[in-house]
Amino acid sequence: MLNLVFLLPRLVPGSAANVLAAGYGGVPEQVVASINARLGLGQPLLVQYVDYMKGIFTNWPPYFGVSYAFYPYTVSYLVWIRLPFTLMLMAASFVLASLLSFLLGVASALRRGSKFEFASMYSSIIFWATPPFWLGLLFAWIFGVDLHWLPVFGTGTFNAGAGTSYIASTIVHLVLPVATMTLATFGFQFLVLRGAAQQVLESDYVIAARARGLRNRIVAMGYILRNSMLPLTSLLGYTVSFMVSTAVFVEFVFGYNGVGDLLVDGIINRDYPILEGGLFYVTLLVIILSLVGDFLLLRLDPRLRR
Amino acid sequence: MSVIFHNRLVSILFSRRSSKAGVVIILAFLILIVVGPAVIPYGPYQTSNQVYAHPSLSHILGTDYQGTDVLSQLVWGAIPSMIVGILGALGAVLIGLLVGSLAGYYTRYEGVLTGFTDIVMIFPPVPLMVLLGTIRPASNTDLIIILAVVLWPPIARSIRSQVLSIREMPFIEVAKMSGMRDSEILVKLVIRSVAVIAFAYFVLTVGAAIILVTGLEYIGVGNPDIVSWGSMIYWAQNFGFYAGAWWWILAPGVAISLLTIGFALIGFSIEEALNPRLRTT
Repeated sequence: MLNLVFLLPRLVPGSAANVLAAGYGGVPEQVVASINARLGLGQPLLVQYVDYMKGIFTNWPPYFGVSYAFYPYTVSYLVWIRLPFTLMLMAASFVLASLLSFLLGVASALRRGSKFEFASMYSSIIFWATPPFWLGLLFAWIFGVDLHWLPVFGTGTFNAGAGTSYIASTIVHLVLPVATMTLATFGFQFLVLRGAAQQVLESDYVIAARARGLRNRIVAMGYILRNSMLPLTSLLGYTVSFMVSTAVFVEFVFGYNGVGDLLVDGIINRDYPILEGGLFYVTLLVIILSLVGDFLLLRLDPRLRR
Repeated sequence: MSVIFHNRLVSILFSRRSSKAGVVIILAFLILIVVGPAVIPYGPYQTSNQVYAHPSLSHILGTDYQGTDVLSQLVWGAIPSMIVGILGALGAVLIGLLVGSLAGYYTRYEGVLTGFTDIVMIFPPVPLMVLLGTIRPASNTDLIIILAVVLWPPIARSIRSQVLSIREMPFIEVAKMSGMRDSEILVKLVIRSVAVIAFAYFVLTVGAAIILVTGLEYIGVGNPDIVSWGSMIYWAQNFGFYAGAWWWILAPGVAISLLTIGFALIGFSIEEALNPRLRTT
């Protein structure tokens, strides 16, 4: 009972969209998100506030003004052309990091107290504790400058052309940023998953399954893995929020032309429309993905469907 | 804090090898900051003609592109990085403790406070910090405030769920029956019961705060001309990278990682001690 009290608030995914959307009824997603975004942004721009809101609500794509540094392009245009690169980076690292933390998480849950658990635990702490931008810098230095294996800058070769060569150069440029993001996300996810897996491991149904003589592997796949996926799914929004933050640093290290790098350019140029619009779009992304997480959680966990 | 809190914390800190290692790491950094400026014969802005000097006896961590001693930069840079991170995390925990225990204990504030927490939490921290940090040139105080503003929501959430379960415990009932006022119960009993877990969150948040603040310094929020661990990495990337100055690139990153690992080891040990299910051995 106490466990339930302790766990339930954590299992409820953390999206303000839920709260707001529940309050307003049938409001479209963008509106909810822009209310969110506005709440954080309004104060220093109180005078322009009304015009600003009008620009966002009455236009599609939302009008955040024109970038100072990339005049005359609008913020939305700049974000839209860079978004695919960031999404690619994040999706690839998310998949890899999840796989890595699942495999290690289940393996170490099965061999509790072993050297293996010890090693994966401490490596995840180390990756959690290493600043992602510095890790990226080390990778760039070892694999790019020292070994000359991989490019360390940009999203693709300038004159790569079209077709296969373009795709190949895009992928080659993704390797190091994805590796950096994967390790940083792995550290974060593994620590969440480990707690969940241990909890599941001690639960009655796992003990019962063991008592029935089911093999270790079946218990691991059928019982432990499935149930420890739940907290990771419910934390999808939070994970995405973490990854967006990491992406800002990683994209800057590698000069990778994504939304994160656009934001850093925005700092250097004091390009406020970019910073505001960028925050709006990444927050929107987090909200959408945490809703996806909620939805998946409902599909995965029959207990929540009631 | 109370004696119970103190004793429990000390016994947790010194009963485990990993938390002892964490304490040693953090103490080593504190000693470096306090003793360093007195011992190191170079200033953090003092240039010389010995550029890109390899680590040697006269420059233990070598020099950078202007001939400035890297070790002295590391020591002076700890103030805008380590101290700002610690104070930012402290602010975040205080806000989280306040909001979380109010939301958990008083049911009538619950909706407003949890709603507010969720709204702040939905923003990805770095883009939000970048925007807050560029409103005006960010001083150290600004960075501390920004860290606290961004980092408190998850803490408030966890504290709230703790308070929710504490609220139902018999000793709170007894206190109510004995005629204690709600505010008294909150301060004397509830907050005291969550103090150890709040300390664990503080220690874990320090790690996140140091990484975030050095990251902000690195991407240019704050003044890049002031020596900090983040700005060291920035200049090392720009000038040390192709010059092969590995000592200059390694020093600040290793310092950040080591310090964060120190805090993480303590944080996870406290969490383990409070939640025995996580125990490794």
